[in-house]
Amino acid sequence: MTITEAIVPLAIITFAALCHASFQLSTSMLTMLSGHAIGRQTARRKLARLITAFILGAAATTALLLSTLAFWLDRTFTHSIPLYVWSIATGLAVGVGISVWLIYYRRKPGTTLWIPRGFANLLARRSKKADTSAEAFTLGFTGVIAEILFVIAPLTIAALILLRLQPGWQLAGVALYTLLAITPLLIVSSLVSMGQKLSRIQKWREANKRFLQFIAGAGLIVLGAYIYVDHILAATALGLGEL
Amino acid sequence: MPLAVDVVKRYGRRPMEKFDESKLKQSIYAACLSIKTPAGEADSTSSAVVKSVIVWVGARPTVTSSDIRRVTSTHLERFHPDAAYIYQHQKSIL
Repeated sequence: MTITEAIVPLAIITFAALCHASFQLSTSMLTMLSGHAIGRQTARRKLARLITAFILGAAATTALLLSTLAFWLDRTFTHSIPLYVWSIATGLAVGVGISVWLIYYRRKPGTTLWIPRGFANLLARRSKKADTSAEAFTLGFTGVIAEILFVIAPLTIAALILLRLQPGWQLAGVALYTLLAITPLLIVSSLVSMGQKLSRIQKWREANKRFLQFIAGAGLIVLGAYIYVDHILAATALGLGEL
Repeated sequence: MPLAVDVVKRYGRRPMEKFDESKLKQSIYAACLSIKTPAGEADSTSSAVVKSVIVWVGARPTVTSSDIRRVTSTHLERFHPDAAYIYQHQKSIL
């Protein structure tokens, strides 16, 4: 497989990863963890360790979820992916996209997310109290798992697209997806390390939350529409559908 | 001498507790530090804000924790707008 053949699948994986990156729970948790660690006068080196562990936790979970999903799909549909699976992926992307528009942020000041308040309070308490790298790593893991209802759509599409690539390119695809999905965390950590005030970061997030919400929802709907046209409509038109 | 004021916790789910000025001062101090204010400035700001809040609290037998947060943010805003923002929005980040 040449780079020219791999470029379209990798572009779709990139787009799915950017949709994943626009979800905000992990970023909120990292903002909170950093704020409270600085408020406790945590040493600079320890703060860097906590942030790194959090990001590694989120990255490892994202990579594992994507790999597991791709592996399961590969084992389940050995020859080719049936049309109904592409249809499910399309429905999932469009459904999640509309849900993002409707419910992702609560109608309150701040960046309050859709997650149930009891669970949000638990995550907030754990983020405040995180004092070791292991706790921060677990929080990174939890942040991704807690948003599974939303991230499942870009993950599923990326996993389906990964199956069209050869093993070497699949590894590159997983790495690319993971790196892009954690980009907001890398940006927040860089800003914190450079001495940027958390209030400025949080004000920016609050001021742009509707835009981010629109982009995330629209991105998923566009992704769903592309999959529908490229894999369902095209296959049906050519009479290649395998239902 | 501690103020004999009862604080009704958020949504009234947890039992009431006595107003604790050291707890209030600590939370303001942490909010100041979280936006990288020097420790000395954070200490003087938190002391000044606590004094203003005590005047407000002292006139009431019972207050809610949300009221304390709102009044504290208003006073903190005069000294340190960024810290006031973080203090006020702590509960609405997630």
